[in-house]
Amino acid sequence: MANYLDGKVAIVTGAGRGIGAGVAKQLASEGAKVIVNDLGASLDGDGTSNTPAEQIVEEIRSNGGEALPNFTDISTMEGGESIVQSALDNYGQLDIVVTVAGILRDRMIFNMTEQEWDDVIRVHLKGTFTICKYASILYRQQRSGRIITFASESGLIGNTGQGNYAAAKSGIAGFTKVAAKDLGRYGVTANSICPRANTRMTQSVPDSSRQLRADRPEDREAAPPIDQMEPDDIAPFVAYLASDQAADVNGQTFLVYGGVITKLSLPRRIRTIFKQGRWDVEELRTLAPQHLTQNLVNPSPPQQPK
Amino acid sequence: MGDLLKNKVAVVTGSGRGIGRGIALLLADNGAKVVVNDLGGAVDGTGDSATPADEVVNQIKANGGEAVANYDSVSEMQGGENIIKSALDNYGQLDIVVAVAGILRDRMLFNMTEEEWDAVISVHLKGTFTVCKAASILFRQQRSGRIITFSSTSGLFGNSGQANYGAAKDGIAGFTRAVARDLGRYGVTVNSISPGANSRMTQTVPQSARDIRAASGMQASASVITPLELNREPEDVAPMVAWLASDEAKDVNGHVFHCQGGQISLMSNPTEERTLRKNGRWTVEEIDAMFGGTLGMDMVNPAPAQAPK
Repeated sequence: MANYLDGKVAIVTGAGRGIGAGVAKQLASEGAKVIVNDLGASLDGDGTSNTPAEQIVEEIRSNGGEALPNFTDISTMEGGESIVQSALDNYGQLDIVVTVAGILRDRMIFNMTEQEWDDVIRVHLKGTFTICKYASILYRQQRSGRIITFASESGLIGNTGQGNYAAAKSGIAGFTKVAAKDLGRYGVTANSICPRANTRMTQSVPDSSRQLRADRPEDREAAPPIDQMEPDDIAPFVAYLASDQAADVNGQTFLVYGGVITKLSLPRRIRTIFKQGRWDVEELRTLAPQHLTQNLVNPSPPQQPK
Repeated sequence: MGDLLKNKVAVVTGSGRGIGRGIALLLADNGAKVVVNDLGGAVDGTGDSATPADEVVNQIKANGGEAVANYDSVSEMQGGENIIKSALDNYGQLDIVVAVAGILRDRMLFNMTEEEWDAVISVHLKGTFTVCKAASILFRQQRSGRIITFSSTSGLFGNSGQANYGAAKDGIAGFTRAVARDLGRYGVTVNSISPGANSRMTQTVPQSARDIRAASGMQASASVITPLELNREPEDVAPMVAWLASDEAKDVNGHVFHCQGGQISLMSNPTEERTLRKNGRWTVEEIDAMFGGTLGMDMVNPAPAQAPK
């Protein structure tokens, strides 16, 4: 056990399995008391079970750490508020919130149902808002706190069959950048992790989708095989961001997998055309293809009907 | 009147006012028949009125173009379907969808209500999904189509007081990149615009928020407006949209363009800036020892801690 987080209290959502479980255990091993939140649902969001959260709490305790299970649904305001309250009731304070909870409902856009859209947006995006909102009230008063959210390359780069997930995950990235600006002046930081890891969630991606994604030259480099990437590889960097050492790291997005930690940039202007006054459509017909969009690669070029 | 979009049929949501209105007018001016969708709500999403959409339709007709008004709410699946159906019922086809409809409910995160969050996510993010989903069924069958969504620098870079709007707008950027990959093989393109314009919506941003953003270097406050910001009319965004909607832009797919006044930029996705790499798992001690001199170099806190007032 190290002591980077001695005296801290943390909430980790979706901590019953996969990346969240790794984060909860790491934070506890660094000295934090941890609320291990997990609804215990199946991957598509159905059902509930106390077992996953309880197992992680048992593991933390057997290693000499302190933790409590929590089974609240984070996608309601009441749920978010009650988890924050649970940290206060049990440990008297809250210093760290890590929002990992998420589900997958992959579907091509033309087949995606309202339910598939709503569920994914609700669990990921609203589930990040509900906890961060209530934590932020406290953080502002105490003038300290850490928020670490989970985005995804699916949103930042784009992934077939994940219109809902990409929207939610990019939305979390945008949310986190705003939260960093709303809260930074109170000594709070908010950062986002894009993880790559072999988990229950990624194992659910069908082979047909994997093949489709592998066939995209532009995307291939961004999505190497993830078989060797352990979910627990994400946790050490989360623990660092949660520590006092990372007091000035705010509003950033990091790609983390295996032994790799990468700082991602904000979007940049790659090419710009400029004139005084409004462009004319006729001008753009010439200049756009010659400069602005020249040699752009279509990530999904048209194919002949089968 | 140009013929770039001759024989095309377009749907433009939120086109009763501002940027959407400019797009509807220009698409029509270039030969497209346009469904002018606008609920006619206030900036905060309350109320409705047929007037804004009707006025734009009247102006298109007065200019010699073809247009029909639609007042459905984009934030319902049925609304999205109705809007697409309006194009089919009136003009027998659909080629272009431009999703501009949006509202603002600015609030600092610690004060934001569930209602303020839900309303903004619903109109922007779900409102983009409902229309695009309904259109994508058709676009896939006909193996052609254009989708142009609206993102924002508020989401791409983050803007104080807009956790809901920033989430919705960056969410739309992610949605656009994913759906571009779903539909590209069917000959469809999906791109997003991040507009900078002075519109009814931006005028609602309170001076206090402008001052905070100016203090953090985000943008000029009202007292220091740059010439670039002064000269950025909502209509300036339309020409790039019209070009993206045309057959000539068939290979442009999955991108975000920032349009402001006479400036049009191709934006990158977030790219890898600096990397720490080792064989096997890092320890927290190792990261602590390495971070400051590597990933943390030149890292700027966009909102540094301040002493209590």
